[in-house]
Amino acid sequence: MLRFSTATLLALATSPLLAVDFNQEVRPILAQHCFACHGMDEHSRKAKLRLDLPESAHGKGKSGELAIVAGQPDKSELVRRIFSHDNDELMPPPESKKPMSDKEKAVLRAWVAEGGKYQAHWAFTAPKQAALPQNGVHPIDAFIRTRLAQAGLKPSPEADRYVLVRRVTLDLTGVPPTPEEADAFANDKSADAYEKLVDRLLASPRYGERWARRWLDLARYADTNGFEKDRPRQIWPYRDWVVKALNEDLPYDQFSIKQLAGDLLPGATTEDLIATGFHRNSMLNEEGGADPNEYRFYAMVDRVGVTGATWMGLTLNCAQCHTHKYDPILHTDYYSVMALLNNADEPTYSIPPLDLEAKQADHARRVRAAEESLEGKFPGGAAAVEKRFGEWLNEESQRASKWETLRPSKMKSTMPTLDVQPDGFILGGGDISKSDVYDLAFDQAIKGAVAIRIEVAPHPLLPNDGPGLTNYEGPLGGFFLSEFQAWQGERRLTFDDATATNDEEEDRISDAAVAKPATKVAAKAPAKVAPKNAKRAAKAAAIRKKNNAAAALDGEMSSGWQVLGGLGQNHAAVFHFDKPTDLSAGWAIKMLFEKHYACPLGHFRVSVTTDPQATATGHPAEIEAMLAGAAPHDQAKLRQRFLETAPELAVHTKALTTLRKQVPRGQPTLVMRERPETHPRPTFLHHRGEYLSPKQEVPPAVPAFLPALPKDAPANRLTFARWLFAPENPLTARVAVNRQWQAFFGRGFVRLLEDFGYQSQPPTHPELLDWLAVEFVKSGWSMKKLHRLIVTSATYRQSSVVTPELAEKDRENLLLARGSRFRLDAEIVRDGALSAAGLLSTKMGGPGVYPPQPASVTSEGTYGRIEWKPSEGEDRYRRSLYTFIKRTAPFAMATTFDAPTGESCIARRDVSNSPLQALTLLNDEMFMEAARALGTKTLAAAADDDGRIAFVLRRCVTRPPAPDEIATMKAFVDAQRARKVADKDIWTAVARAALNLDESITHP
Amino acid sequence: MPPRPNITRRHFFQDCGVGVGKIALASLIADGAMGQLAAAGSGMRSGLPHHAPKAKAVIHLFMAGAPSQLELFDNKPELSKLEGKPLPPSIINGQRYAFIRPDAAVLGPRYKFARHGQSGTELSEMLPHLATVVDDIAVVKSCRTTQFNHAPAQIFMNTGFSQPGRPSMGSWITYGLGSEAKDLPAFVVMSTGSGISGGAACWSSGFLPSSYTGTRFRNAGDAILNTSTPAGIDPGTQKDTIALINAMNDRRLRLDGDSEIATRIANYEMAYRLQSSAPDLMDLSSESKETLELYGCDPKVPSFARACLLARRMIERGVRFINIYNEGWDAHSDVAGNVKNNCAKTDKASAALIKDLKRRGLLDSTLVVWGGEFGRTPMVEASVSLGRSQGRDHHPQAFSMWMAGGGIKGGQTIGQTDEMGFNIVKDEVRVPDLQATILHCLGIDHERLTFRNAGLDFRLTGVEPCRVVKQLLA
Repeated sequence: MLRFSTATLLALATSPLLAVDFNQEVRPILAQHCFACHGMDEHSRKAKLRLDLPESAHGKGKSGELAIVAGQPDKSELVRRIFSHDNDELMPPPESKKPMSDKEKAVLRAWVAEGGKYQAHWAFTAPKQAALPQNGVHPIDAFIRTRLAQAGLKPSPEADRYVLVRRVTLDLTGVPPTPEEADAFANDKSADAYEKLVDRLLASPRYGERWARRWLDLARYADTNGFEKDRPRQIWPYRDWVVKALNEDLPYDQFSIKQLAGDLLPGATTEDLIATGFHRNSMLNEEGGADPNEYRFYAMVDRVGVTGATWMGLTLNCAQCHTHKYDPILHTDYYSVMALLNNADEPTYSIPPLDLEAKQADHARRVRAAEESLEGKFPGGAAAVEKRFGEWLNEESQRASKWETLRPSKMKSTMPTLDVQPDGFILGGGDISKSDVYDLAFDQAIKGAVAIRIEVAPHPLLPNDGPGLTNYEGPLGGFFLSEFQAWQGERRLTFDDATATNDEEEDRISDAAVAKPATKVAAKAPAKVAPKNAKRAAKAAAIRKKNNAAAALDGEMSSGWQVLGGLGQNHAAVFHFDKPTDLSAGWAIKMLFEKHYACPLGHFRVSVTTDPQATATGHPAEIEAMLAGAAPHDQAKLRQRFLETAPELAVHTKALTTLRKQVPRGQPTLVMRERPETHPRPTFLHHRGEYLSPKQEVPPAVPAFLPALPKDAPANRLTFARWLFAPENPLTARVAVNRQWQAFFGRGFVRLLEDFGYQSQPPTHPELLDWLAVEFVKSGWSMKKLHRLIVTSATYRQSSVVTPELAEKDRENLLLARGSRFRLDAEIVRDGALSAAGLLSTKMGGPGVYPPQPASVTSEGTYGRIEWKPSEGEDRYRRSLYTFIKRTAPFAMATTFDAPTGESCIARRDVSNSPLQALTLLNDEMFMEAARALGTKTLAAAADDDGRIAFVLRRCVTRPPAPDEIATMKAFVDAQRARKVADKDIWTAVARAALNLDESITHP
Repeated sequence: MPPRPNITRRHFFQDCGVGVGKIALASLIADGAMGQLAAAGSGMRSGLPHHAPKAKAVIHLFMAGAPSQLELFDNKPELSKLEGKPLPPSIINGQRYAFIRPDAAVLGPRYKFARHGQSGTELSEMLPHLATVVDDIAVVKSCRTTQFNHAPAQIFMNTGFSQPGRPSMGSWITYGLGSEAKDLPAFVVMSTGSGISGGAACWSSGFLPSSYTGTRFRNAGDAILNTSTPAGIDPGTQKDTIALINAMNDRRLRLDGDSEIATRIANYEMAYRLQSSAPDLMDLSSESKETLELYGCDPKVPSFARACLLARRMIERGVRFINIYNEGWDAHSDVAGNVKNNCAKTDKASAALIKDLKRRGLLDSTLVVWGGEFGRTPMVEASVSLGRSQGRDHHPQAFSMWMAGGGIKGGQTIGQTDEMGFNIVKDEVRVPDLQATILHCLGIDHERLTFRNAGLDFRLTGVEPCRVVKQLLA
């Protein structure tokens, strides 16, 4: 019997004239064996010969010989060299360790003999819809059957109705049909019964959940940051957005554009912002001492690669270090694509709930009420308040100083962006590094300056509201001022001490990564300058914490002034000159922020005083100004300040402070935000792809072999996202269609879903792929229409039985003479078991949940360990889409069944078959719970064994069982009874066996 | 029809009907369908080994956190003389550090060194047990990596790439050489410390078939997850259940002809055997008191010593690649205390493993590798705000490892660093060189063990040229 190899099957189907097909046969050989040295990379090019361009291949090489002489293989140097027996001449050279096969040599020879003609690569020219090769049949079947006929094969008959309803329900919703649903379809004799079924499934909310999971594999979605610390993150609103978008059949172009550049859309909505979480799914390394910009670079590398794989079917990542060895992608192209994606900041966005305004108004009311109630709670009543307020005014006026707020005339920073706000506060943003320095110069001349004050305050644009810019590893929104200096020209001005409003707070050592030393060695105390002011000296001596304002003057970078992040972190440090100092225009301050994580300030203001007794009073600047007589008294405000600082009311004030911090907020999620036009981020080419080797700046652009970006639009993420969906773009629709096809048939037309380049195996059905790609666009990029088109074909509806003929002729089922049978995805395996057991919850959305799994999975061997507390109630049995995904210690059952960890983009999952899967289905706690629940149901379902067995099998495999299956299971039941196993346990065991059947976990 | 007591593989390949009859078991297995849990003696890829192997198996004692080479192997008395002074910037050469500033002062070695054995290999006083097998090991003092953070460096050491997503050494090796293990996984991972920074990426199969992922042996609960029969299922029911499942699957195989069902039947048999083979492996009651004392192992308590003894038992059962992680070497503060503690946990057992393998005739066919993901700085780490002192930061430029057993020439020291222990001055061994050498000992040419993924033929050692360290070889 004739057996076809993949190549002959393909060749047979596409080349009826038996001529060598360049795209199908020749280019893959040239790409594999020749382009590395004779391709477009000029750095690695040998003998000045390019075999990727016909004009070079047909021209003279360095040796003067013609590589290809059309029609004359014996005169062609290329042919001579590949057949050479001389190791010095043989191509490819033996040291490449990739010898060309005899068949490959023969193909090249034949190709040269036929003229050595080149064709454009099929995937790089826009698809066209060919005329249907057969009429009167479903378009998909027209192509598939024509091909089958060429190979001498016939399609399989339609699958049994129970197989069909199980298959299409699993494919479209990711859960099996109930026996009732299956019967309803099996008994529906109407002509459009199947179409009605399909439409019902497409409209089910389960559809979005099923298809979201596949998309999230590409998006590398997870609920933790990855790497060593692997701390939790909140980006599940993005996951829920994907479900919703798919359920609403948001057209694929909109679906994609929103994810790549939703923030840039005119009038961007909340949903558009949430969608930009797609590229926020890259990992974040919070390991102690990591360089945040290095890992931001790797995140960008990840984003370029994921974009290439997801939308373009290009292995762009191969051009990170050098020009692509096979495809026409230059090293600079890679960084130009990066530049398109690289101009965004990465904030955490609070999704405003619908009733946010009402909630905020309510909160404001409660704060006001608490403020107003303070006075009434004062012990001793109104008289006592009056007396104490008078004393307070007197005392605090003595302490207060007159401060002048200064706006810098010049600002310079190592990395963060700095902008002066109308209130004189300076707002930082952009990128941060482990060692940032701010230089602020001032034009105001001040005679006899005594101290400089730095006020810090929260701001809604900062991480965790600031006042610092720390956005990873350390306290979020905190800062660490290592050193504070003042300069007059070249002269360093000297301070003798400093006070801060948080000097009384406890120190916080923020780095959890530090291994505890076995023997405690006392850390060296910071060198202290001795203040001349006796009162301040006494206070300084009393401060036990190491990180205080004075530590920013000690010349020691590892100590400094620290404020943790969050609302309410309004603080100030006052730095005292050793003597009254005259400042003249051009004087400057320098602030150094250095720690093992990046820690610069994000929102601060500078003031100077000439008052000798200046100190960090802790009063808001406005109040201090009134107290110091620099502003008219506002009695109400002063009185309120008094009440809030009165020790008599401390317990009430504390409650008020807590209440103030409980500002109604939305659910946080990670998003992209384009940088302001004033602060664009440049992108550089990196030599050999190394972070530490940036070279020339590269402009945003797309590779030249693809259609150009529109000239009338800015070269940014939005333009790029729209360009992907331009009618002339050859790749986007094909890549998407190929991926959908793979989901239904287990294999794409192009086998590697993420590589449509020169090295890719040519499509099994190029005309059908193109037809569907064009149809997909014509349908308005409707996924549901595409899915409907596929599942209504006779090709999809075929039986998947492997006949001996098909096993011999087309074992891999490349030509689709039968339906596809493959193991279900991890999530569907689990959801199917829960569904059979009647446990599966239909609750949608929300934070990740924790189904039971052995405790050791997340507690052992992982640095960023967590205690996995199994969820109770409904959350224990949610769809697997909602299981919390921890990257470094993923859900064990999911890993065992090939689900990705979210550490990289996966277009096509492996489908393995392992003993560990058997152990999981047999013995895992979650599957046992399902077996017990199903066993209990089974026992109650019928009065006799046969009825119960039929019940349990139908719950698991949908179809009614055959008599011999019932007999086999009944024998098992009898054997257990004979061994005196309790009835309850017998039916649990039966249910467990049924859940373990190959058929229960297989796409039929 | 009563359920069959046991469905043997012979049975279903002999008489199962449609379609599959002609597909040999060997081809199923060779497809990698069963990955590293394939039957013993199966799964070798065609063309392998590329040359006669010296080693059949590898035990990688991964000292996670990065041990201080300056307190263990690389004796630098010059540092004591310079203690308290910074290194010249010309030496630092722009190197970035995790915690310290490049101008941090030098810290002299905290321990004394002496020469041992016929080879005269120099070791610190913290390694008295290793000193007794010093003529069996080759110390490499000139290892170098590109990474200076734990997770990327550990992932790099295991997979040849600093980001997750590539196959680990154990996956590559079992993918290439298949399994010789009887009813056990061919690639096993144990952890005995506080947690592995690189996480599951360190034993991931990457883009290789996922069945080549390392199998975790755990300390609490089942060693291999789910090898215990659940409460409420007695052993008889468990046995009958597997027979029932396979009988039903066999029926389905006859009807549908899908060879995956045959693999699944084989996997249920293997799963059943694993339920006893894994506990058997973990049961140390047959080990003599002398052996337990040799390792310093309390059979009931999970420890590095117990993991080493288990590793020897795995080697006896044909396991191909064993990772034992001992985490906790990250001495940012009090390097002396850190080294002392970790040596107390690991020195005796590491030496015992060499001795025990040797006396059982297994050392010649087992490659033992000891080392961390990078080294530690000659400069001191101290920080007021973090409460650290007398520590050492991460140092990628130079660190030490040792190798012993199959294919390795023991009793030698390779490589040299400068007087400060900062840079390598002789015989640099980069991480890909180490990987190429390990593969070489197993009979694998690292340039020829490749896998096509995303447009490239990937290999463990990456695209840059690297070398087998010939000096190391016996």
